[in-house]
Amino acid sequence: MDKGATGPGAGAQATRVVRPEFTGSAGEYFRIWIVNLFFTLITLGIYSAWAKVRKKKYFYGNTRFDGQTFDYFGQPVAILKGRIVAFIAFVIYAFVGELYPVSRFVFLGIAAILAPWIIVRALTFNARNSAHCGLRFHFSGTPKQAAGVYLWGLVLAIVTAGLAYPLFMKRQRAFLVSSHQYGLTELHCELSGWAFFGVYFRAGLLVMLLAAPAALLPQYLFRHSGELPEYLSWATWVLPLVLIYAAYAVGYAYIQARTTNLLWNGTSGKGFRFSSSLSANTLMKIYIGNVVAVACTGGLLIPWAVVRTLKYRLESFAMTVTHEVVHQANPHFARVGATGQELGDFFNFDLGL
Amino acid sequence: MTPIAAGYFDGKDSVRHDVSVLIGAGKVKLVSRDVSLEFDARQVRVAPRLADTPRWLYLPGGGACVTLDNAAVDRFAREKPFTRTLNRLEARPVYAVAAVALVVALVWLLIDRGLPPVVDYIAERIPRSAEKSLGEDTLEALGHNWLKPSTLPPNRMETLRRKFDELGMAAGDVGPLRLEFRASPAIGPNAFALPGGIIVVTDELVRLARNDEEVLAVLAHEIGHERYRHTMRHLLQGSATALIIAGVTGDIASTTSLAASAPALLLQTKYSRDYEREADAFAITLLQKDGIGPQHFAAILKRLEYRTKDKHRLGLPTFLSTHPPTEEREALARGAAGGAAKVEEDDSADDAAEKALARPPH
Repeated sequence: MDKGATGPGAGAQATRVVRPEFTGSAGEYFRIWIVNLFFTLITLGIYSAWAKVRKKKYFYGNTRFDGQTFDYFGQPVAILKGRIVAFIAFVIYAFVGELYPVSRFVFLGIAAILAPWIIVRALTFNARNSAHCGLRFHFSGTPKQAAGVYLWGLVLAIVTAGLAYPLFMKRQRAFLVSSHQYGLTELHCELSGWAFFGVYFRAGLLVMLLAAPAALLPQYLFRHSGELPEYLSWATWVLPLVLIYAAYAVGYAYIQARTTNLLWNGTSGKGFRFSSSLSANTLMKIYIGNVVAVACTGGLLIPWAVVRTLKYRLESFAMTVTHEVVHQANPHFARVGATGQELGDFFNFDLGL
Repeated sequence: MTPIAAGYFDGKDSVRHDVSVLIGAGKVKLVSRDVSLEFDARQVRVAPRLADTPRWLYLPGGGACVTLDNAAVDRFAREKPFTRTLNRLEARPVYAVAAVALVVALVWLLIDRGLPPVVDYIAERIPRSAEKSLGEDTLEALGHNWLKPSTLPPNRMETLRRKFDELGMAAGDVGPLRLEFRASPAIGPNAFALPGGIIVVTDELVRLARNDEEVLAVLAHEIGHERYRHTMRHLLQGSATALIIAGVTGDIASTTSLAASAPALLLQTKYSRDYEREADAFAITLLQKDGIGPQHFAAILKRLEYRTKDKHRLGLPTFLSTHPPTEEREALARGAAGGAAKVEEDDSADDAAEKALARPPH
């Protein structure tokens, strides 16, 4: 395995830490984003597939990891096909569902049966079209495994009235990461279910503590609304909403930060292990700042929000190389120029990295 | 022929080989201490330029080269015209500013001008019978929490039903209509049109009205909603707007895209106000056709507003409201009623009624 290694440190047993770095800027991405948006609008959405590829190529090409950037080969036409199918399905669902509400259960049933297959296709499409150092990624999960994780997990979560939900999330995230391969290099996830329980339990307490005033406030305000001047009466319904949203943001950021840390700190491969040190506090400030900025600018600051969130997430991620390994291509999927004729990309599944 | 500094990956493993790329005479050559390769330039695919991201040259056989020297690659690579346009547009801030203006104008044009005719076209073509189950389900759902069986005297209901049927006859092409009476202390004096021709009026509204004409005036307004399929149009317009906003804001976290859709929400309330105006205009024409003076509509609107003012109002500014300002609606109805003296008379009577209502009996 090691015979082809040339870099400095090859063969040496000294560990080194590799951190990803984002080399793009919000201003540059804004210009790409707005041009994408313009063409998407004048083509009534058709260009969105090309826009997505351009966006992904920009982010991949600006994410430097271990000295090299990533590369994305997704074909816009394949993505367009997926989007057209998804669009038609959505229109039928929305339309027929409004007219005959009962049909929604039929749709949900079909969606539940198809979901594992769609999820696996989308992940495979994304992985096979992503490369680093000329080697493609691969997703080896099967629809059967996905069904076990998603459907069985959801049933378990519902039967236990949500108590098993953290366990479901643990299995889901472990499935997503450990089914990915970089060339022939595999990833292993060892996650503790109890740790996930702990995160969700603390998040639940946190949200309840913050949401309690939001629940009591409207009663108080309504009782005293007569004393409020007319121009301030909007506060009676805006304030509780703001509080509930803040509680949600805190809970969401906490869960995101802690479960992502648990996930990557429990993930390793031959000769390397990952680590993640997201701070719930920082992530929460970023989310709230994003929402305020995006709402106040009618969406114009979306590129800025996306870039700064990604920068922080990348900063918190690291790979410790304990043993230099040359990664080998998977001979079945090695050809870089091959066009991926996949149906996938129904949903935007993006891994933490 | 200046060499370009690049990294070469053979596609079999992850090892980077630092090479010099030499391009010329229809050949692409990679040279370094441990690599010496030569390819036909026509078989080498150069990735289109994107900002200043590293540029890939995909080689026949699965290998690839990457270089940071975009300027050098640009000198020999022939980009497609569209890629060249994209790069030019993305490079200059002035184009970005122009794109912002165009995007805002296009989104507005699409949602405000493009959608309504399409929505009208589709709504007019959905059979009224198809809406029926939706209306029945809504009525049943409302029955659980909001609506209770009516406590009006049966003969009052009978009279109103008869007059309502006459009104429906005069309305023309509205499909079968059905009047439902419900008591609702929670909703208060109100009436609403459900899909499929079901019109619900609360006991509270019937009690608030000083005569049957006033109840019928409100019902005429609701028939207007049925005539123009407002519920269906609202549903279609709402889901199409949501789709457009989701498409425009695209691949970002759901909570953030929710924030970006706030302006679209404001547009929704504007349609709602337009629908109310349409139903008002319809009601006035219908009432005149049925021999009921539109001043009754003005009178009940005014009393309804007086009632709600006393309650806890949300204090919404006009642009957030789903209904046009009552003053405007009243003026419309009074204008249609014509006779100024009669309106004056009604006003004084209204004031007395309002005083009586200031302390509701229940």
